[in-house]
Amino acid sequence: MTPTLQTVFIVDDDASVVRSLSRLVRSAGLESRTFASAEEFLLAQPQPLHQPSCLVLDLQMPGLSGLELQQKLASSPASCPAIFISGNGDIPATVQAMKQGAVTFLTKPFDDQDLLSAIFEALEKHRNLLASGSQLGAIQERMTELTEREREVMAWIITGALNKQIAAALGIVEKTVKVHRARVMEKMTVSSVAELVRHCDAAGFVAAK
Amino acid sequence: MNWVTIFWSTLSGVCLMLALLHLLVWSRDRSSRASLFFCVAVFSVIGMAMAEMVTMHTESIAEFSGAIRWTHLIHGVGVVGFLGFVHFYFGTGRWGLLVLALFIRFLAVVANFSTGESLHVYAIHSLQKVNFLGQQVTVLGEWAPNPWVRLGQLAMLIQVIYVVDASTRLWRTGSYESRRRAVIVGGGLSLFLLLASAHAGLVAAGVLRMPFLVSLPFLGVVLAMGYELSRDLLRAAKLSRDLRESEQRMTLAAEAANLGIWIRDLVRNEIWASSKWRALFGYGRGEKLDLEDILQRLHPEDRETVRQVLEKAMAGSGSYETEYRIILPNEKVRWIASRGRVEFDEVGKPILVRGVSIDITGRKQAELEASRQRRELAHLSRVSILGELAGSLAHELNQPLTAMLSNAQAGQRFLAQGNPDMAEITAILDDIADDAKRAGSIIHGMRAMFKKDAAVEMQPVDLNDELTQVLKLLHSEIVGRHVHVELHLENALPVVHVGRVEIQQVLMNLILNSLDAMKAGVTQRHLKITTGRQDDRVVVRVHDNGPGIPEEMLERLFEPFFSTKPGGLGLGLAISRSIMEQFGGRLQAENHAAGGAVFSMAFPVAIRNLSET
Repeated sequence: MTPTLQTVFIVDDDASVVRSLSRLVRSAGLESRTFASAEEFLLAQPQPLHQPSCLVLDLQMPGLSGLELQQKLASSPASCPAIFISGNGDIPATVQAMKQGAVTFLTKPFDDQDLLSAIFEALEKHRNLLASGSQLGAIQERMTELTEREREVMAWIITGALNKQIAAALGIVEKTVKVHRARVMEKMTVSSVAELVRHCDAAGFVAAK
Repeated sequence: MNWVTIFWSTLSGVCLMLALLHLLVWSRDRSSRASLFFCVAVFSVIGMAMAEMVTMHTESIAEFSGAIRWTHLIHGVGVVGFLGFVHFYFGTGRWGLLVLALFIRFLAVVANFSTGESLHVYAIHSLQKVNFLGQQVTVLGEWAPNPWVRLGQLAMLIQVIYVVDASTRLWRTGSYESRRRAVIVGGGLSLFLLLASAHAGLVAAGVLRMPFLVSLPFLGVVLAMGYELSRDLLRAAKLSRDLRESEQRMTLAAEAANLGIWIRDLVRNEIWASSKWRALFGYGRGEKLDLEDILQRLHPEDRETVRQVLEKAMAGSGSYETEYRIILPNEKVRWIASRGRVEFDEVGKPILVRGVSIDITGRKQAELEASRQRRELAHLSRVSILGELAGSLAHELNQPLTAMLSNAQAGQRFLAQGNPDMAEITAILDDIADDAKRAGSIIHGMRAMFKKDAAVEMQPVDLNDELTQVLKLLHSEIVGRHVHVELHLENALPVVHVGRVEIQQVLMNLILNSLDAMKAGVTQRHLKITTGRQDDRVVVRVHDNGPGIPEEMLERLFEPFFSTKPGGLGLGLAISRSIMEQFGGRLQAENHAAGGAVFSMAFPVAIRNLSET
């Protein structure tokens, strides 16, 4: 386990619930930060980009609801995963939350173990995301170093096409394709096509048709 | 045949009859003083007639003169009688004139006995006989007149002035009765007084050779007075018949209406009650009625109230209306409504209480039944509201429970890790306790709403507190529907005297209605609740920003079974309004100028010394 400061953000309009969750989180050796409303959370913009964190979120709050907050956060990259807690076992809301990427949905009152397991799961998820996120950044950076032509070639490489086919498609000599292939593999620091495909997927790089 | 004797005797006989009759009247009713003075006057006329008989038959001068002298005295008494009669019968005589007249007459009587033979005659030298009514009677022969007669004439003049004055004033009162009396008695008396005086004067002056005939004119007066008094007797008889007739009508009406009538004489401390009343209250026909005994038959709970109501009426308000229960000897309970009126004397002391009582058991039972059904309905409505709120109430309870569980488990973890921060542990336990109380208060609030009481429990209530309590119960519902509540609660809101549970029900009903109104098509759901004092009322307003209420439905809203919600029972507002009216308040709906509907509850401010019990 990487010894980073893992923070749990707790958002609930009921002050007593917030206090109790904060204590629970701290009893597990984690850091907690509390907010009385979704608006307060958004204003604070507390997400440090390089530390794993997660969100414990009440579904029903005056003003911006939990689901709405989740939607707002979805647009920003590397946002921390959310765990929903609610007094209502509202099925449509549950489904919506899960669809929008919640880690899990807990109904109040919940056992401490249930919450803490979910929190650790979420933190793990976020760590991976951050890791892959920083990977992603690197990948994207490397992609900018590719030339136009190298890009074109990469687009064909990840379809699994042979050099001969790529040459035909682009109207260049096979030898040139080989050179471009080598350069792409080098610049992208991958050792296999499979890896290249993964990186391109992560970066959202579209394959050729 | 001695016509004189016969005539004068008959005269005396008639007078005696009248006198005795009116003496009897006066002895029965001491307040009819006119009758007493009439007697005096009549007896004096008898006396004068007797004396005149003596003068007419006597041969001796001494006897003649003595008779004349005594006639004057009797005449004086007669004047007292006649004037006294006028004074009490008319009631309009001037006291001053009366005293003056009697005084001068007194002087005349004194002069009569102290100057010469009598007031009219100084000295009698001889007598003679003349023919009068076919009879030989003695009259004055030769004599010397008494100058003091002027005093007598003066007295007569003032007497006449008194009578004429009293008669004119009586005439002026205008009624037919009074005018007839003024003319017959007053006019007659004045006329005959003058006539008697003139006659005596003429005889004394020697112009008329006749006996002194003072009694005759006065007989005329007596007859006039007698006539008037007889008319009164006739009228009394007629009044008695009318009274009997009136009583019979009243009895018939009372029977028909099932009324018991009673009269309480406070002076004699007696109570009379009609047979119907006795039957109502379980008394026998001849049983003596006593107020304390009657009050003992009242239901113990009602006794004090009725006693106070009676006392208040007798202290000055003059009338009362009250309803109470009585317990009959056979254990049966009856509801009675009584209405009474108090009669006061000139100084304002109560002397008589009259009233009617009626059996309203049937009506009362119907009222009580209706009231019970209203309460049942209100209760059902409350239960139904709570049913609707079940989900959000459960959520509301869930919050403290969640906090309690998480707190306890966090505490357990801290302790398990060894060397816990005791301040934190203390804070955890404090929070757990507070949350348990929070949950308890929600449950308590719910339980109050579920209660079904035998009667509404009225107490002094701060509407701000009730509103806060209701909003706590509805918290989850409000948040769940994304409604923003804006509160404007006036500080130091005056207290109102209402039933707590019922008022919470009305508030809940109004707020839930507003939430429903804002369901469709409203993006920013806003509910504004204000409390405040307006003149002598406390007003609570619930304003939503829903679509408002169509004009034609504003009043129909409060009709039972009228609902704008599909599947709605339509009783909420009807019950709410009836609850408000029960507490002397009002519930109204109107559309706000800025949009949305406003429901206003208006309560009368509680008066400090409201409770009587």
